[in-house]
Formats: sequence, C-alpha cells, structure tokens
Amino acid sequence: MIENILEVKDLHYTYIDGTHALKGVTLDIKQGMTTAVLGGNGAGKSTLFLSLNGTLKPTAGKVLFKGLQLDYSRKGLRDLRKSVGIVFQDPDSQLFSASVLQDISFGPINMKLPEEEVRKRVNAAMDRIGISHLKDKPTHCLSFGQKKRVAIAGVLAMEPEVLVLDEPTAGLDPMGVSEIMKLLRKIQKDLGLSVVISTHDIDIVPLYCDYAYVMDQGRIVLEGTPKEVFAHRDEIRSVNLRLPRIGHLMEILKEKDDFEFSENANTISEARKALNDWKKRKTT
Amino acid sequence: MISIDKYAYSSKLKHTDPLQKVTFALLTLAVCLWADNLIISVAVIFIMGGMTVSGGGTPLRFYIKLLLLPVSFLIIGVSTVAVNISEQPESLLAAIPVAGIWIGVSNEGLQEAIKLFFKALGAVSCLYFLSLSTPMVDLLAALRRLRMPKLLVELMGLVYRFIFVLLETADTIYNAQNCRMGYSSLTAGYRSLGSLISMLFIKSYKRSDELYTALEARGYEGELNVLEETYEKHWKGYVLAVTINVILVLSSIALKQV
Repeated sequence: MIENILEVKDLHYTYIDGTHALKGVTLDIKQGMTTAVLGGNGAGKSTLFLSLNGTLKPTAGKVLFKGLQLDYSRKGLRDLRKSVGIVFQDPDSQLFSASVLQDISFGPINMKLPEEEVRKRVNAAMDRIGISHLKDKPTHCLSFGQKKRVAIAGVLAMEPEVLVLDEPTAGLDPMGVSEIMKLLRKIQKDLGLSVVISTHDIDIVPLYCDYAYVMDQGRIVLEGTPKEVFAHRDEIRSVNLRLPRIGHLMEILKEKDDFEFSENANTISEARKALNDWKKRKTT
Repeated sequence: MISIDKYAYSSKLKHTDPLQKVTFALLTLAVCLWADNLIISVAVIFIMGGMTVSGGGTPLRFYIKLLLLPVSFLIIGVSTVAVNISEQPESLLAAIPVAGIWIGVSNEGLQEAIKLFFKALGAVSCLYFLSLSTPMVDLLAALRRLRMPKLLVELMGLVYRFIFVLLETADTIYNAQNCRMGYSSLTAGYRSLGSLISMLFIKSYKRSDELYTALEARGYEGELNVLEETYEKHWKGYVLAVTINVILVLSSIALKQV
C-alpha cells in the first residue's frame, strides 16, 4: 500500500499584501516516491512548499504529516523540521557559513545530537552527495552547482523523511541538471526518502519523477503519473508549460506524418521503443 | 583583500591551531610595540615575513606588495614627526626659512621617525602573518574559544560570508548599468551609483529574509551553532611563540644597556 506521508487539504494562503497565492490546493505526497510540482512562474509552488514545513501557516485548509495535522507550536515545528527538509532555490540564501563543513553541521547540531553523531552524519551526507573533497573550501570559492550540493547536504545531514527541493535544477548547466537529478533519485531509492521537487524544467519530469502535479494560479489543474499528465496536451499548454521535447516530436510525427503509436512517449527510450514497434508493424 | 583571503586558505599553516597563531601574532606584536627599538622592529619584520613566506608559502612578491601598501600612509604619518620647527637652523640637518623661523629635519626627529616607521611596519607584519595564515572561519573559531561574545562572533561570520555575495551582486548591477551607458558621464555615473547602492540595500534586505527562512527550516532558534574543527593538541606552537618573544625581549633589554 502506498502511504501518503504528506497530505495537503484545500489549502489557502493569502500574503499580507493581499496576494491570494494558494486557492484551495489539495495534494498528496506519496511515501518513498519523487513527486514533481510543475507550474509557471507565480503559480504558487514556493508558497506551497513553505507551507509543507510550517514556515507559512495557511489562511484556510490544512497540512497533514503522517496523517496528523501540523502543530504550529514551537516544539511542533521543531519536530516537523527534523522530518521535512527544504532545500531553497538560491544556495546563496541558504548557506550562512563560509565553511562547508560548518554549514552542513548546522541542522544536526540544532537537533541537539551528540557531537560524534553530528560528525558522522555530516561526513555521511558529504559522501552521499559527493562533496567530501570540498570540506575545507570556503563557500564563496564554490561554483553554483557545488553550492547547490552543499545546500542539499546541509538538509540531508538532518536525515529527514521528506526532502523538498525548490527548483533544484534552476541555474545548472545540462550536465549539472542530469547529475543532480540522478543523485536525488539515488538518494531517494537508497534511503527510502520521499522527494518533492518544484520545477518548470519539463524534460526532467518523465525521466526522474513518479508522480506530478501541475499548478496554475494557486490551484492544482492536473495530476497523475508523468505519462497521464502529459497526455493532457491542451491543458499543459494553457498554463504556460509545454510537453517534453520528445513528447512534442512524437505528437508531430503522429498528427502530421501519419505515424501510428500505441502510447505516448515522453523520453528518448520510450520514443525509441515506440518507433521500433512502429517499424516492426510496418514491415510485417 | 580578497587575495589575502585566498592565500590564507592555501597557506601551509592553515591546519595549525588558530589559537597558536593568534597567540604568536599578538605576543610578538606586543613585544614589538613595547621594545620601541629599531633593531627589534626590523627583526620582527623578518621573523614574521619569514614565517609567512617560507612557513606559510605566501609568494614573496605578493607579500612585499602587501607590505608596501601601508608605506604611503606611514611616510605621511612619520614625516610629521621628522619635520621640526626651530629658531636655530644649526640644530637642523636641512631646513628652509619660513617667516623668520626654520622648518626642517633634525637628527633626533629623523631617528624617531625611522624608529616609528619600522615599529609600525613590524606591527603590520604581525597582523599580516595572522591574516595570511588563518582563514576567517578559523579565526572566528579561535575567538569563540577565547569566549568572545557569541553574538559578535556570529555577526562577524555572517558579515564575512555575505561580503562576497554583496560584492558579486554589486558587480552584476554595475556591469548591467555599464552596459547601458550608466557611467558614460559624471552625472550619469552619480545617478547610477545612487541606484546601485539603493538596489544593494533592497536586495540585502530580501536576502536576509530568505536566509532567515532557510535557517528556520533547519531548526534555527537564535544561535548559529556549528561543528568546530578539531586540532591536534601540541605545545610546539606555543613554545615557539614564547621562545622567540623571550629572545626578543632579552635582546631589547641588552640593546638598551649598550
């Protein structure tokens, strides 16, 4: 049975300046899976994420962690943040220390763990993310991608159950994008983590995500597996998003060039399979 | 300033206990100021320079350039000591008459000025030793161990971390303005600089807000507690610091009696 580790029920959030950022969002984050929240700029992804660890208290609606409604008391939030870790979009706003090691140790130390355990966790997190060689480097000498990794390690060292990442691929080069996504996938599998990412990088969704929600103007407009979501072509386009490039190509081949595919393909391997099937059918 | 930071991180002395380096630098600084002797000052410059260049691996050229930085200030400073006013030109080595009195350099004034010059340079070399061998992070750790108020150390750490972010932001804004002719004339330059500064304030405020949220997400409760680097405990550094300074003190006493 797939358990929902986080549930969001009819969540509303209005900022002090009157911006109604979330207008009744309902979604489930499934245990041990990677969930993507897709949406254009200003769709409400970041507001949603800040509600997941209790930074923002919803104006209406509720958030449940493991079936229990969030407790917004000091102690409740402290406990919640041990379990739900957020990696922010700009690593420069997250890394406060000039020392990589010290920054990563911040979370575990706040959890009041003994020093031995902190050291163990910091080293394990650095190993896992592949940044052990950066231990003695000052933060300001790192590249953007390296800073991003340090930021992830800083959250991972707290050993959360849910890892929430706001735009993990924004600002990375193509190699960096696939490296970080593969890394996240591996961590998720190895540790049984539940991962939530927000992105408008469409092409990574069918490759690395198990489930996807599409947001627009503070609402969820689509949900399902990536395949299901990208089958709704018109809705996807109406919210300033697009199909994965491969999906778009396959759509053109099907509609304009009379190819026949039994199912939608959104990744290179899916497309290859579909085209091979088509070739086989044609020759027989 | 940024290159000092870089050399500090690549110094061969980086991994020695920062407290030892602080002790050494401050002790020698105190002795240099107390001795008030030309030979001792020059000796301190050589000891500290040697420690930094051969011990720490800072390139000699860079080190000399750095030492020359305060020289211009020093020359202006000590020249006021060297220059005297006198009514008898005989007491001055060289002098020019101005409205009935003589302005010039006396023998004692000159000696005093040279002594002061090297004393100041000696003190500077002590601080250079510390800043070229000890990255800020280690220095802050040492200050924490010396029981400096936590708030102050945290603030210093944040300032240090975000100086680089601020510089980067300023640089980006400056380039963007420059590309659009923002500095093509004096008035345009002032206007652009004004908006650059106000933009920096706004961006810094926004960033501090984001930082706070991010820290809170990792359980921030008012204190930036982090893991401290551990250093091997050995007395070699302290022994060396004390020995060198005892020698300096003894020789300065000996020099005074000559």
